[in-house]
This record gives sequence, C-alpha cells and structure tokens, in this order.
Amino acid sequence: MELSQRERLSELVEELTTSGQPQLNQDKMKELKKICKVSNDCIDHVYHTVMSQLNQEHAEIRLSAFQIASDLFTRSHHFRTLLVDNFQEFLELTVETDSEQPLPPPKEVARKLRSLAIQTVQSWQASYGAAYKKLALGYHFLKQVKKVDFQDAEARTIAERRREEERQRRMDRIYKERVEAACKDMEEMHQEIEATLTEMESCMRLLFPDYGLKDTETVGSSPSTSHSANRCPSDDEQPCCSKDVKDDGKEGKKQLRSSKEASNGKGKNPEKDRGKMEQKGNNEEEGNEEKKSEDKEMEGEKKRDGIEQEEKKEWKVKDGEDAEKSNSEGEEEQEEDKEEEEEEHFGDMFIRNSGLISHSYSLDLNLSSGLHVKETEDNEAVVSTVIDLHRLITSKHLPAVHGWVQVFTKSGAEQQLLRRALDLKKSLEAALQKHKELHIDYKARVRKVMKASSDQEEEEEEDDFDEVPEKEGYEPYIPEHLRAEYGLDPSPSTSAAPVTKKTPAKRPAAPPPQSSCSSSSSRQLKRLAEEEQDPTCAAATLRLLKQNLPVPAQTSSSSGPSSEQKPVNAPVVPFGLDLYYWGEEQPNAGKIVKAASQHQFWVPAEVEEEVENNQLLEESRSRYISFPGSFTPVNHFCRAPLGNGKLCQRQDRLKCPFHGQIIPRDQEGRPCRREDRLREEAEERRKREEQPDWRDADLMRDIEAATGENLGSDRVAKKGKGKKKKYPNLSDLKQRANTSRSRLEKKVFNKSTMRRVAQVMSKADGRKHDKFSNQFNYALN
Amino acid sequence: MLGFLTARQAGLDDPLRLRRAESTRRVLGLQLNPDRDVERIHGNGINTIDIEAIEGRYMLSGGADGVIVIYDLENYGGKPQYTCKAMCTVGRSSRYVHKFSVETVQWYPYDTGMFVSSSFDKTVKVWDTETLKPAEVFEFEGNVYSHHLSPIARKHSLIAVGTKNPKIQLCDLKSGSRIHVLQGHRAEVLSVQWSPRYEHILATASADSKVKVWDVRRASGSLFTLDQHNGDKSKASSEAVNTAHNGRVNGLCFTSDGLFLLTAGTDDRMRLWNSATGENTLVNYGKVCNESRKRLQFTVSRGCSPEFVFVPCGSSVAVYALHTGALVTMLRGHYNNVDCCAFHPDYQELYSGGKDCNILAWVPVLRTSDVEEESACTNKSAAGQSSVNPAFQDTWSSDED
Repeated sequence: MELSQRERLSELVEELTTSGQPQLNQDKMKELKKICKVSNDCIDHVYHTVMSQLNQEHAEIRLSAFQIASDLFTRSHHFRTLLVDNFQEFLELTVETDSEQPLPPPKEVARKLRSLAIQTVQSWQASYGAAYKKLALGYHFLKQVKKVDFQDAEARTIAERRREEERQRRMDRIYKERVEAACKDMEEMHQEIEATLTEMESCMRLLFPDYGLKDTETVGSSPSTSHSANRCPSDDEQPCCSKDVKDDGKEGKKQLRSSKEASNGKGKNPEKDRGKMEQKGNNEEEGNEEKKSEDKEMEGEKKRDGIEQEEKKEWKVKDGEDAEKSNSEGEEEQEEDKEEEEEEHFGDMFIRNSGLISHSYSLDLNLSSGLHVKETEDNEAVVSTVIDLHRLITSKHLPAVHGWVQVFTKSGAEQQLLRRALDLKKSLEAALQKHKELHIDYKARVRKVMKASSDQEEEEEEDDFDEVPEKEGYEPYIPEHLRAEYGLDPSPSTSAAPVTKKTPAKRPAAPPPQSSCSSSSSRQLKRLAEEEQDPTCAAATLRLLKQNLPVPAQTSSSSGPSSEQKPVNAPVVPFGLDLYYWGEEQPNAGKIVKAASQHQFWVPAEVEEEVENNQLLEESRSRYISFPGSFTPVNHFCRAPLGNGKLCQRQDRLKCPFHGQIIPRDQEGRPCRREDRLREEAEERRKREEQPDWRDADLMRDIEAATGENLGSDRVAKKGKGKKKKYPNLSDLKQRANTSRSRLEKKVFNKSTMRRVAQVMSKADGRKHDKFSNQFNYALN
Repeated sequence: MLGFLTARQAGLDDPLRLRRAESTRRVLGLQLNPDRDVERIHGNGINTIDIEAIEGRYMLSGGADGVIVIYDLENYGGKPQYTCKAMCTVGRSSRYVHKFSVETVQWYPYDTGMFVSSSFDKTVKVWDTETLKPAEVFEFEGNVYSHHLSPIARKHSLIAVGTKNPKIQLCDLKSGSRIHVLQGHRAEVLSVQWSPRYEHILATASADSKVKVWDVRRASGSLFTLDQHNGDKSKASSEAVNTAHNGRVNGLCFTSDGLFLLTAGTDDRMRLWNSATGENTLVNYGKVCNESRKRLQFTVSRGCSPEFVFVPCGSSVAVYALHTGALVTMLRGHYNNVDCCAFHPDYQELYSGGKDCNILAWVPVLRTSDVEEESACTNKSAAGQSSVNPAFQDTWSSDED
C-alpha cells in the first residue's frame, strides 16, 4: 500500500468521525470505499484507525466510526474477520456490554449509538451469523446474558428495564401511599365538608330564601316581601324579623286605606300575590278586631318607622334639598306614593316618631339585574358565617379536594373514590358559584369588625346609629348625602368647596365624625343651623371664615374630583392671633411679665413689671407659612417598548429605572425625536453584541447535545475566542453543565477559598495547641 | 512433519517424539471453530468443567445456578460439523439439584459411573451417573469452594474438600464419612489438588495467600509451605513470610507429571513451583488477570514437548509456555469472564466455560495446503469458498468505481 493512500485513508476516517454529524458524508465514504477496495492492507489500516476512533471517549466519534465499520462490514470479508476477531471489544465500545465501561457522553448520541449498534448486530447475525462463529456467539451473548430485546425499539438492556420497572414500582408505591392518605383524608374531611356545605346552603337560604326564583322585582328588600307573601299564612309565627314587620306595616296601611290598596294592585306584583296579601291582611284583621283603630294606627306608624329605618340602610338616602327625584319604578313609586299619603295624614306624628324633618325623600335605587344581598344588621351574623364558610371552602376544602382528584386521576385509583372526590368538588364549586351569584356586599362589614375589636364600648353606645365607615383624616370627596354629617354646607357648588374640603381635619372645634353620625340627617341639619348661631362652635367660625375669605377664582365645577386635579393657588392657613388682629394694633403683644423673684411664695413687695419685647411683638405680627407645594401626580408613562410587545407602564417623573430618561414616544413606543431614536438604536446594537448568558455557545451546545436539536450554537460560537478547537464540529465534553451545583462547586472548591479556609482552621488549631498543648502535665496532678 | 515421519519409520526416533511434535503443533493451532459447538444448557455462568480420563468422551459442567450437565464430546456423525450434545442434566427441576452455585465437579477417576460435585449449598454430593441421584452427601459448615479426588490413588479414596473453614476436610468414599482434618490455613481454602505423582501428596491454596503441601499420612502438619521468596528473608516483609502470593491464592494445578505445581493468585500473578522441594522457579508469566473471588480452574497441556498452560485471563484464555513463561496466544471468544477450562489430552482440544453461559470448544485447525500450492489455488479456493458460503464474499458495489 502506498503511503499516500495510507495517509488519505487516515485523513478520511478522521474527517468522517470528527464531523459530529449524525450521518456520514456520502462522498467521503465513497472515496474511502474506493481506496479500501484496492487491497486488504488498506482494509487493515482502516480497521485499525476505526478501532482507535471507536476507543475515543466521545459518543459522536464513536457513532461515526461505527457507521464506517458497519458500512465496510457488509462489503469486505477481510474487514468482517478482523472485526469479528475483536468482537468483544467492539461490543463493549458500541453496545456497552461492560457496565464498567459506559458509553461516553453526550448522552443523546450514546443512546442513538447503542440502539443503532444493536440493530446492526442483529442484521449482521441474520446475514453472517452462520459463517462467523464469534458473531453468533456475540449475538447470543447479547440476547441471553445481556437480555437485550432485539425487538424492543428502544433496545434496552435488562438492567435498564429493571431500573425502569423499579422506578415504576416505586412510583406505584408512592401513589398507593398517596391514595391511601387521600382516602383517609377524604374520610375525615368528608363529614366536615358536608357540614360546611349544608351550613352554607342554609345560610344562603336564610339570606335569600329560594333564590332560584328570578323575578325582576327581586331587588333590595322587595323579594323578602314577595317571598314572605308567597309563604303560607303561618308566617306570623316566625320570630319578628324585618320581613314580618314590613308585612305588618303594610297590613296596617291596608286596613287604613283599603281603597288605595286596590288601586295599587295594578303594580308589578302579580295579582295573586296581592290577593294572598290581602287575604293575609284579612286574617290579621280578624285577629286584631278587638283593638281600637287608633291603636292600630299607632302600630302601623311604628312599624312604618321601622321600615323607614330599614330603607335607609338598604337604599342610599339622600337629602331632599339638593337631589332631584330619581326615576324609580314600580313598587318603589307606589311606596313613595304611600309615603306622601302618610305624610298628609300623620304629618306631626311622623316628625315626632321618626325625628325626620324633611318630608321629601328621593330614593335612589340601582336596579341590578342579578341578585344582590346587602349586609344589614339583621343578617349580619348569617353573612359573617357565609364569609367564614366561603373562606373555609376556598382556602381549605377546595384545594384539598383538588389534590385528591389529582392523586386519584394520576394513580388511576378506583372509580368510586374518584367519583366521590369529583362529586365533592362539584358541590363545593356549586356552593361557591351560588355565593358569587348572591353578590353579597360585605365591605362595610370588614371595617366594622375591625372597629368593634378596637373599641367595644363605643360600639355599644352607637348601636342605634347608622353604620358609617370610619373616615381617617383627609377625604378628597364627600358624597352629597354625607355633607350634612360633616357639618358642611349642603350645597357643594359654592366657591368655598375647596376650603371646606380640607378644613375639617384641622379644625380643633370640629365635631368628630362619629358623633355627627346621627340617625337622621335632617336633625343634623337643624342642629347645624343652631350651631351657626353659637359663636363658640366651629360652625360659626367656619361661617365667619366663609364670609370673610376672599372668593377665589370660580372653579365652577361642583364635582369634587375634577377640581381636585388643579393645584390650588391660594394657600389655606390655620386661624391664628395675627389673623384675628389683622390690620389692628394688638393690645398686649410683645409684653412680658417679668417676675423678679423666682420663688413661688416669697414674693417681693414690688409688683411684677412688664417688659416690652420688640422681637416678640414682631413675631406676633408676622407669620410664617411654609408652603411646600402640593403633590402633582405624574401623568405620563415611560412607554418604552417591552419584550412582550407592551409598553412600559412605569410612571416616573424624569427617569425610568429600566429605560432611562423619559422621552416622548409615539404609539408603538418609538421615540418621537430623531436623536433619541438614533441613540436607542445604538444602544440596541451594543446590547446585541454582548451576548446574554443564555446564548452562551457552550451552554447551547450542551443543550443541543442533550436534546439533539440545532439551536444554532455553531453560529454563536463562530465569533468567539481566538483559540480554536481541534474538532469544532464535535460537541464539547469538557464544557461542564452550567448547573447550580457546578457553579457552587466552582465557588466552594476554589483554590484560594480552600486555602483561606484551611488557613483559618489551622490557625484556630494552632491557637488551641498553643494554649493547651501542655495540658497533660497538669492533668496528671 | 515429513522428517518426523521418516525418522519414525526408520526407527531413529522415539515414538513419543512424533506424537509430541504433532500435539504441540495442534495446540498451537487451537482456534474457535465454527464446526464445533457445545449445546447451550446453562442459563447462568459456568463455574467448572471436567473431562473424564477413561474414554475422554464425557464432559461434566457445573453452573452457577446449581445445574450439572454431562456432554458427549465424541463426534460419530462423520461430518466436521458437530454440536456436543448434553447427555443428561441435573436441572433445577430435579429434586437432588444443588441449591446454589456448583463450584467443582469431578469424574471418579476410574469409572464414569460416578462423579462428585461440591456447591455453595455447603454440600459435596457423590452422584450415580446412571440414575443421576446422589449416592452420598457430605455436609459442611461453610461454603465448599473446591474438592478433589486423587487421579492415581489406589490405596485410598479420599476426597479433599476446601471450605470456608480453614480446616481441610478429608472424606472417605469407602466409609462415607469425614475421616480427617488438616489444620494449618488461616482463611478459607479456595483450591485443593492431589498430586498426580504421589497419591498421598495434597496441595492446598487458601485466601491467606499461602499454599501448603501435605502428606495425608502425616496428620501433624503440612510438609512445607510455598514461599515466593524462597526463604530469602531480606526480600520479604515479616507478614509476607511463607506466602505464595500477595493476594488470595485461588488456582492450583499440577503439571501432568506432577513435578511442578502452578499457582494463580489475585495479585495477577501465576507462579511455577517445584512440587518436590517447594522452590519457586521464578518463571515470569507476566500479568495474568485474575479477578475471581472463587476458585479458578486452569489446566496444563499433556503430551506436548514444551508444555503449555491454559489459564483464564479476563474474557479470554491465555496460553503460556510452561517453562519459559512466554505468552503463546490469547484465545478470545468469550464475552464475559472465563472461570474454567479443561484440556482434552487425546485430541488436544480445549474447552472453556465462562460467565457468558457459553462452553466454547477450541479445536486445532487442520493445516491448509502447503505454501507452494497456495498461490495457484488461491483464486480457486476463494471461488470454491464463496460458492460454499456467500458470507465470505466481498461485496463491493460497483458505483464506488
């Protein structure tokens, strides 16, 4: 064999094996075979080079070498004899017959090599097994000793299969345990959940009896009336709750004005209901026949009063003065009519009983299409229970049930268990859904609970007052109907609006909001008028101020929030002595009474003298007003384009911590100004040049090797370090996986770190030695 | 060859010379032959094999699963292709089968009607070949690593048994009882071997790295202990005195004439000793891989002019020249560790068993035609061969031109 051929062969084999490709280059392979065909010497040479390549600790090299070998094996008898002679080693290097010699990394390629080798050996056995004894022996060895299942597509060895089985068994065991635990849990929890569900159910029923009925009138308190009307007459036996009171009240009215009732029958309530009510009313009438009509009237009044209270709670009551009449429909209108009628009849009685001055109410109703339950004092307990139950279900039961369902489905447990778990889940979800549909309002309640916990006595005192959410300090907006409670002028459109808005918190004389929460706002109004006459009252001061203060530029907008936006030019200052004597001579400003003796009792004969202090005088006339300016919220956004296609929503005043100076940008987040755009592009370019660490070429190559997919690591790797690898196409084995462990290792087993630690430790040891080395001397004594 | 023949014809040579020359040639030509197979019966590694000395026809094999198989080696078919049939088997279904791995099997030296097997189930069983039932069972306290019957004994019928117990047991077939104990070793006895020359001489190898030679008539102690340094105190450290190896000694083999004793140890060495004096002959065989923790069964050729040692060495069988220590060849064919090999003195065949469940027959390759004819015949033979077996044909495809 010529030297050139020899060299060429070595070159070809090396090129083919270090290509890193899953398939061989056909042209090179052809050339190789062409040379091999010439003589057996060539085949010898190729065989040895291939074997040496097979011995390389790199699965890609081995795979390629194996492919060369299998190609030549089918061609040349000489190659076959050579290979079969050394078949043990060949199998060790390709099929991993020796467990102490595992196939080298990368794993993905090694697995591929293995399965390919096993398939190839089988095909060789089929065609050459009879002629080459060792091949047959090797095949039998694989089949019988290594228990390689040649039919198995994955071509796993017995060890692998056993491992798999073991894993499966372990998983089974774990699942079994979990299922058992879940079963036990379920047994334990089942009762509890059932109880919770029943409780929830009954709570809901209490809150909203049979709310499956969806008539349009089920708004506010009306459903309760209709339902109570729907119920059997034995309703009277129920404990006195608001519904009954209401009913009774109506009955009382009916008795008084039955003709009116008849006309009201045209309302939205179905005739039947009315009929029933009337019937019921008649029953009641019979029972109450002995009573005097006056008494009845009184009764009716009282109950009516109760209703009024309730209505106030349930609906937002506005003062009649400023609010127009809203368009309320149906029953509500009827009720209004009734009210008016009542007013006519029992004008002064009404005032006496209710303490309400104003007779003109407008009831603002928002008719929500769905169900709506508002928390009241009556159903407070029920609602709180519902809240607790809801919390219990969402935080405890539902997750637990979800967990069981997951466990059961994963482990393929018995259908029965799964079904039970699913049933539980369904019922829990249904309960939640119901709860959601109820739209229970309990915001106010949460606050109240907090308050109740803070001061119990106050709570008791205020029992007969309305529940008003406690306000803290500054309130930007005071609702119309609450203005009176705050001691504010009922008309917000006056120029003083901004002043009053800010003052309440500062005024020392202002009544605390709690005390102002009287049951009736009209009474409050009246009191306010009285207070204004009283100069010691804050209201008087306020009025004085209002009159005295110059009227600022008309803001004209009566709505609070809009006027809030603009900065207020005139500062509001607290009232002081200087203001009181504004433009006048202060009588005794700057005079200090000087006591000659400091003693308390020994007073000298001469009277104390007054000293005039100019500085003090000046001070009393001047006034420092610190005005830091008001906070203007930032209205602009950063609006730099983000990776997910959105714009940055940060609202920094000048500079976004992520995107730098805030510059005007257009709809897509591009800078409007040209120089900004250029700068940004330059930045972008720079950023792209310095690779982010996930695009680290070695890491990518690792991932590629593990997954077998091309992520383009070669592209990335191209422009890299100057040092070139010998075989750039092969995946790098030395590159260790960038795992947390390896990173930690790098840190912990760092040479300098180790040395430092060792130094410290030896120092500590040395100290011990210095101190105690001679201790045995003393120990003996 | 022709020279030998004419010399033999002329009566110039001893008849033994021709025989020796030919058998040596045959041994040198040992190869794995596709014509000779041994039936695969064992489902597990093969620990021991033994060929009977009377006819040279039957072979015993003991497997790691307790199975004992008897093979017929003789080919009466007249064809070169022959598969050694299993005559009978003590399989797992048999009620007499050894519970655990069979460590040693041996034919009764004078008759094939009886054989002895020892096993890790702490028994030595004496079997009747006809009925495949144990005629006698000796039970011991520890695992039995090895036993041996003297091949030449006429005055006694003792089985020497090496067990986990350091005491060597001697069982008498005549009385069916354990009659004697040889004390001296300090660790389990891995191998015992009777001398083929003197019927009372017994060599034992132990895990305490010592090899002792006993005369069973003298109960007080061993004759001598083999010393790898030949008593040279300067070379030996104090604890290495009188040791044959620096590790466990798990192989023992007398040469056929009984003049030399071979030992193999886990220090990857094989040593040749003068069995009369216990002197280390210091033949260097190089590294002989030996990872076995149990007994290693190896053998020496018989009737060759330089004798050969066949010793399992990893997954192959190494062939050494006995007295020079030169490695002649490696017989590669097993796919896992080889545990035992047996030489067939009549046909110069070698049988080896290993952990890959195979018993391989290494058969001398018949000499092909002479060198002069070869060139002329190459093409023809190649053609003829290819007609016989297309697998031997080169199949270069034409598109590679």
